[in-house]
Amino acid sequence: MKQFKIIYLYEIKKITGKRLFWITLALFLLLTVVTIIMQLLGKSYVDGEVLDTHYHMFLVDREYETALSGRAIDQNLLTETMDAYRTIPNPKDRYILTEEYQKNARPYSAIYQLIARWYDTPSLEDLLHLDVGENSFYKARLAFLKEEWQDSFLTVEEQNFWLEKETQALTPYIYYYHKGYATLCKTFNTFAVLIPLFIAVCLSGVFAEEHVKRTDQLLLSAVNGKNTVYLAKILAGITVSVCSCVLMVLTATLFSLGIFGAEGFGMQVQATLYPFSYPMSIGESCLILGVMALFVSILMSVLVMFLSETLRNSAAALSVCTGCIILTSMVSMPPQYRVLSQIWDSLPFTFLERTHVFDLRTIPLFGHCFVSWQIVPVLYLICSAGIALLGRRIYRNYQVSGR
Amino acid sequence: MELLIDRVSKQYKNRIAVDRVSLRLTEGVHGLLGENGAGKTTLMRMLCGILTPTGGTISFDGADVGEEAYRARLGYLPQDFGYYPEFRADDFLRYLSALKGIPKKQAKEKAAELLELVSLSDAAHKKIKTFSGGMKQRLGIAQALLNDPDLLILDEPTAGLDPGERVRFRDLIEQLGKHSIVLLSTHIVSDIEHIADQVLMMKDGQIIYQGKWDEKRGDLETFYLEQFKKQQSGMKREAQQ
Repeated sequence: MKQFKIIYLYEIKKITGKRLFWITLALFLLLTVVTIIMQLLGKSYVDGEVLDTHYHMFLVDREYETALSGRAIDQNLLTETMDAYRTIPNPKDRYILTEEYQKNARPYSAIYQLIARWYDTPSLEDLLHLDVGENSFYKARLAFLKEEWQDSFLTVEEQNFWLEKETQALTPYIYYYHKGYATLCKTFNTFAVLIPLFIAVCLSGVFAEEHVKRTDQLLLSAVNGKNTVYLAKILAGITVSVCSCVLMVLTATLFSLGIFGAEGFGMQVQATLYPFSYPMSIGESCLILGVMALFVSILMSVLVMFLSETLRNSAAALSVCTGCIILTSMVSMPPQYRVLSQIWDSLPFTFLERTHVFDLRTIPLFGHCFVSWQIVPVLYLICSAGIALLGRRIYRNYQVSGR
Repeated sequence: MELLIDRVSKQYKNRIAVDRVSLRLTEGVHGLLGENGAGKTTLMRMLCGILTPTGGTISFDGADVGEEAYRARLGYLPQDFGYYPEFRADDFLRYLSALKGIPKKQAKEKAAELLELVSLSDAAHKKIKTFSGGMKQRLGIAQALLNDPDLLILDEPTAGLDPGERVRFRDLIEQLGKHSIVLLSTHIVSDIEHIADQVLMMKDGQIIYQGKWDEKRGDLETFYLEQFKKQQSGMKREAQQ
C-alpha cells in the first residue's frame, strides 16, 4: 500500500513536472477569465454610432434587474412591463435609442425578454397587440414548451413527465437578478471544449512516453510494474484531471459571481430563458454543471490514457481526441435520429454544454424517465471502468520488441 | 539457485530471432557474446518477462518468468536504458525501489548506498537530464541492483563507460557473481574475458558455444572469432552435402 502511494505520487510528478502542463493550465485559466470578462469590454454600436460601453450597460441593467428582484412575475408586473413598452413612440424602428425606451422600458427589459420568448414573438409591435396577463403568460409558456417537446421528438411519456414537472413549479415565478449564475452557466459551454482539450494535452503522454523513453522495460520487468503501476497511472491521471477541472470551475465561479454578483442562487430555472421544467434553482443548475464537469474529467482522462497506451504515441492520442472535440463541436446529429443524437450529445467531448446536461430528452429506465445529468454520470463511471480494464490488459501484455 | 531456459524460441514473421535455446545457469558470471543481430537482446528480454517466447519455458528456482515471484528477484539493465529527464537521481532510484517492492526506509538507504557505489553521490540531487552518458549508464547499473537481485540481466552494460569505470564495473560484477546469477551480454570481449565463469556465444539466434573460459586457453577474442569461422564452415559443408 505504501509503495502504491509512492508510485502514485511519482506518477503525478511525471504529469505535473512538465512545463507543458503548467503552460496549458495557465492558458486555459486565462481563457476562462477572458470568456467571462469579454462581455464587459468594448462598446455597443447602433447604425455606426456608439450607444454605450458594455460595462456601463451592464451597470445600468444590473441596477434595473436588482430593482425587480423579489417581485412575482404576476399580473401587476406584466402590466407594468407592457405599459412601459407602450410608451415607446414607434415600435417598428430601432427603439433602444429612444429616450422613452431608456427611461421607461429598459428597467423592465428582463421581464420583457421572458414575455417575448414565451409568446414566441420577437417583434415589439406584434406583442403590443397581444393581451399579456398572468394567465396568458403562463399558458404561453406551456404552449412554447409543448412545441419544444415536439420539436425534440419527445415521446408521449416524456411529454407527460415534463408536464408533471412543470406543474410542480410554484407560480407566479419570483424574479431575481441572476447575472452571475447565468454567466457561469454559459461558461460551461466553453468548458465543454476546454476541459476535454486540456486533459488530452496533459495526459496523452502518460503511457506513450514510457514507450518512447524506453522506460517501459524497467517498469514491466519490476514486480510492481504491471498491475500496481497501471492503477497508479490511471488514478494519477484522474487526480490531475479532476483537480485541474475543479480549479477551472472555481476560477469561473469566482470571476462570474465576483464581477456579476452572487444574488439569485435560489431563482427557479423556469424564470430564466432556458425552456427547462425540472424543479431546481439556477444556482443548483450551476452546481450540477460543476459536478458533471468532474465526471467528464474522469471519463476523458481514462479515455486519453487508454489511447496513449494503445497508440503508443502521444501526438496520435492528442490528435484523435482533438479531432473528436472539433467534430462534436461542429457537427450535430439530427434529432430525428433519437438514440444516435442522444449518444452524440452525451459524449464527453461535448456533454458540458448546458443544452446537453439539461437535455429535454430523457432516458427511460425501469419504467421511469431519468434526465441526462442523473444517468450520464453513472454511464461515464461504467465506461471508465470498462476502458480502464481493457487498457490494463493491453498494458500488461505489451511486448518490448522491434527496437 | 538455477535459471532454467528450456528450448526457448522467438519467431517473427520473417525470421527467427532466438532458435531453441536451452541453458541451465547457476551462480556466477555468464558472458553472452555475439555480434549485432545475434539475438542476445531478444533472449534477455524474454528472460526479463517483457517479451513472450514463441516456444519454450523459462523459470528461476521453479518460478515461471510470468510470475511476480520471478520478477521480485530480478535486476535488469536494458541495452537502451530509459530514464525520466526531470527526475533527480535519488528520486529515480526511490521510484524504481517502489516498483521493485522495496519499503520506503530501506529504499532511501539502498539508493544512497548504490549512488556511492557507482560514484554518483555528488549528483544525487541533480536532474538526470544534466547527466553525461556515462553517468546515466552508472545510474542504470545502480537501479538494477536495488533489490539485491538473485538474477541480474545486463544488456551491454559498459556502453558509454570510460576505461576506469569499466574496470570498476568488472570488479563489481565479479563480486555479484559470487552469490547471484549474472548474465551479461556484450560484443566487447574484454568486458568478460577476466570475470566470466562461463562464456556463451550466440549467432543467428542459436548458442554456438557454451563453456568455461580461463586464460590458459589463450585469447578469448581470437577464440571467439574462430568459433564464428567454424560455425560458418560447418554451415557451408552442410549446404554442400
